[in-house]
Amino acid sequence: MRPPRRRRLLLQPKAVAASHPAAVSLSDPFVLDIADMLEDSVSSFSSSSSSVLQTLRDASSHSLLSQRWPTHKDEPYRFTDTSFLKSSKILPAVPPSTISPSFSSPSSNLITFVDGHFMPSLSSLSSLPAGAFAGSAADITPGPLYDTVMASAGDAFHHGDLFWNLNGLGAPDLTVIYIPDGERMIDEPLRLRFYSAAASETGLGRLPLSNPRVLVVSGKLAELAIVEEHLEAESCEGNGCYWSNSVVEILVEEGGKVSHSYVQMQSRNAAHIKWTFVRQEKCSTYELVEISTGGKLSRHNLHVQQLGPDTTTELSAFHVAQSDQIQDLHSRLVLEHPRGYSRQLHKCIVSSSSGHAIFDGNIKVNRFAQQTDAGQLTRTLLLAPRATANIKPNLQIIADDVKCSHGAAISDLEEDQLFYFQARGIDVKTARDALVFSFGVEILARIPFEPYRKSVSDRVKELLTAS
Amino acid sequence: MACLCFPSTTPLPRFPSLSPRVSITKIFPSSISLFGPSRFRSHGVDLRSQATAATLTVDYRTPGEETLDTGPPRILLEVRDLSAIVAESRQEILRGVNLIINEGEVHAIMGKNGSGKSTFAKVLVGHPDYEVTGGTVSFKGEDLLNMEPEMRSHAGVFMSFQSPVEIPGVSNMDFLLMACNARREKRGEPALSPIEFFGFLSPKLVAVNMNPKFLDRNVNEGFSGGEKKRNEILQLAVLEAELAILDEIDSGLDVDALQDVAKAVNGLLTPHKSLLMITHYQRLLDYIKPSYVHIMEAGAIVRTGSFSLAKQLEKEGYRSVSVA
Ligand SMILES: Nc1ncnc2c1ncn2[C@@H]1O[C@H](COP(=O)(O)OP(=O)(O)OP(=O)(O)O)[C@@H](O)[C@H]1O
Ligand SMILES: [Mg+2]
Repeated sequence: MRPPRRRRLLLQPKAVAASHPAAVSLSDPFVLDIADMLEDSVSSFSSSSSSVLQTLRDASSHSLLSQRWPTHKDEPYRFTDTSFLKSSKILPAVPPSTISPSFSSPSSNLITFVDGHFMPSLSSLSSLPAGAFAGSAADITPGPLYDTVMASAGDAFHHGDLFWNLNGLGAPDLTVIYIPDGERMIDEPLRLRFYSAAASETGLGRLPLSNPRVLVVSGKLAELAIVEEHLEAESCEGNGCYWSNSVVEILVEEGGKVSHSYVQMQSRNAAHIKWTFVRQEKCSTYELVEISTGGKLSRHNLHVQQLGPDTTTELSAFHVAQSDQIQDLHSRLVLEHPRGYSRQLHKCIVSSSSGHAIFDGNIKVNRFAQQTDAGQLTRTLLLAPRATANIKPNLQIIADDVKCSHGAAISDLEEDQLFYFQARGIDVKTARDALVFSFGVEILARIPFEPYRKSVSDRVKELLTAS
Repeated sequence: MACLCFPSTTPLPRFPSLSPRVSITKIFPSSISLFGPSRFRSHGVDLRSQATAATLTVDYRTPGEETLDTGPPRILLEVRDLSAIVAESRQEILRGVNLIINEGEVHAIMGKNGSGKSTFAKVLVGHPDYEVTGGTVSFKGEDLLNMEPEMRSHAGVFMSFQSPVEIPGVSNMDFLLMACNARREKRGEPALSPIEFFGFLSPKLVAVNMNPKFLDRNVNEGFSGGEKKRNEILQLAVLEAELAILDEIDSGLDVDALQDVAKAVNGLLTPHKSLLMITHYQRLLDYIKPSYVHIMEAGAIVRTGSFSLAKQLEKEGYRSVSVA
């Protein structure tokens, strides 16, 4: 506890009270402690405290004042148990001074973050198209891009929760990637790699917290493929304790298309909390394929906001919750303009009685979103007795001329399918493994890059057969 | 997959012509009981069928083969008084089925809808929906009922399903390779790589007249009725089973497809392989001539006869052959 440090956070209680009349819990000591600690740590390495970053931090700390740690009484955390974080000693993640060479891999358009810090030495940006930008927000010269970045840093995102704001306060920098109008970056995708290297050993109750933050702006009529990976450094041997609290914002400008693959394979002792905030201008397309198998607590908050008519949005997710794992997707798609088309497919496997899957998929079709065509489907495979899944698909439709469908199914493996394998001489274990894996193939097959799709598929297969 | 390229100009192999066949007269093995339990014998049908059976024509499918087994026929499958219930509802379906199939024989089972034909076939391959409550089944002298379904497959029993299940997410190629290598492993043979396997598979694809594109698709997913049946025969070709039980392999097939499938099945038959077909129509039996035709009724085989029994059925319906 360092009361003097906290003072800055408490400077504006009046403004807070005015804008959040219901915010009575101004002081959740646990939250303030984390905020305090983050503020301390950012000031220690922020040589380049740009005005963008300052704006972001101010807005975040402002919002944080009214936020308390979520409990099961808060709807978004009704089923998601965050007590593991609350009972840990949270420290700022300090990236190791020497980075092991196993990090780097030859790849173009690669941006590597270690514990939230952009690592130019582990990145490769030489083949970015002319006019593109990738780097710190501090290095953006005044102009339209600067205005866009500034606006998104300062505009409070009303759906942003405590974790969104902790990231805004604790992010060591805001990394911006800009792809100019009409560019195509499809065959050589933009690779965003997030490593957690500052990990604690198990059993110490310490949790280094990192807050990577990225904003991707894809210009008008541009086509961009993004591969976003959350991994951990090999030195952690797959079981390091840490908390990765990331934010990725994507702005798809008019007529553009972003195809986004997001793969989360962090340590089974880690917390992975992530926000993906996407805004789609008119006639744009956003496609997300999400594969999440890592983490002790993995929570993805996905918010897609439609900014103009005729958008296409395709969201696919495949989660695997094994023993002592929570896999949670909270998604919200807000359609406010005519003729939006959206499809969402969520699939998860819970393979252990101590595994827990959560899906809350909200699709909001507002009054002016006429002729929306929205579909949502969620399927869960429960493979163990007492395995838990809390599934809440929900459509909120206010417009009247819309086509919406949704469905949810929870099942075990099909007996008839298992028998078909056996009848062809394949033993039960092999048959089960093949069927369990096949459940996710529908999503894995949507990863757009063949070698990458294969390597992710192989890792998922290995994981599922090992259990 | 590059290895899946298949030149479209590959000529189809010539199939053995269906008409000229070697026919021999075979004495019906006297030790074999082909009849239902005694309650059916009282109807006096058994004698007639035995008389018919005694002058049966057995057609081996290998053209030009002049030398035939001189030794006694070897029993492949022997079913005695088999009864079975639906595991969940305990409803009795099979009520004492008796059947003997020798090596190299072709049998057909006909019977009304719901008489228990598919159930019989599925019980033979160990489907978990059913529980055997009595009787015995031996295959090549071994107790079939004691084996897990995969062991029955390894032993050489294959069943093609009336409605094969779809398996989304598993490619046909992977499935066939898994099945093939499971069998090879069982026999102590080294596993085939996907490329080796494709070499092994190519002539079989030609034999069932199946487009290699189907290998990349998921098992039976979105296949038409006829495509599913062809796929079953492809699996049979890969597994080289000694006893193939084909449940309504002809249903849903157009004329050309029926010929394709029949050709493929005939092509697979050797003097040591046997076939048990379940069908409603004589049409299939015109292409694949059975040595014996059995009628199933209310869970038992109530009559056995020659091909002419199928003809009689086609003309006069079940009433003419029924024992009830
Ligand atoms: N798994 C099951 N559960 C409940 N009833 C069953 C089951 N399997 C078979 N039956 C019943 O057993 C009887 C025989 O069914 P089966 O499928 O063996 O008939 P079939 O002779 O193959 O008929 P069809 O000519 O129509 O294919 C039917 O009344 C059927 O409803
Ligand atoms: Mg049937």
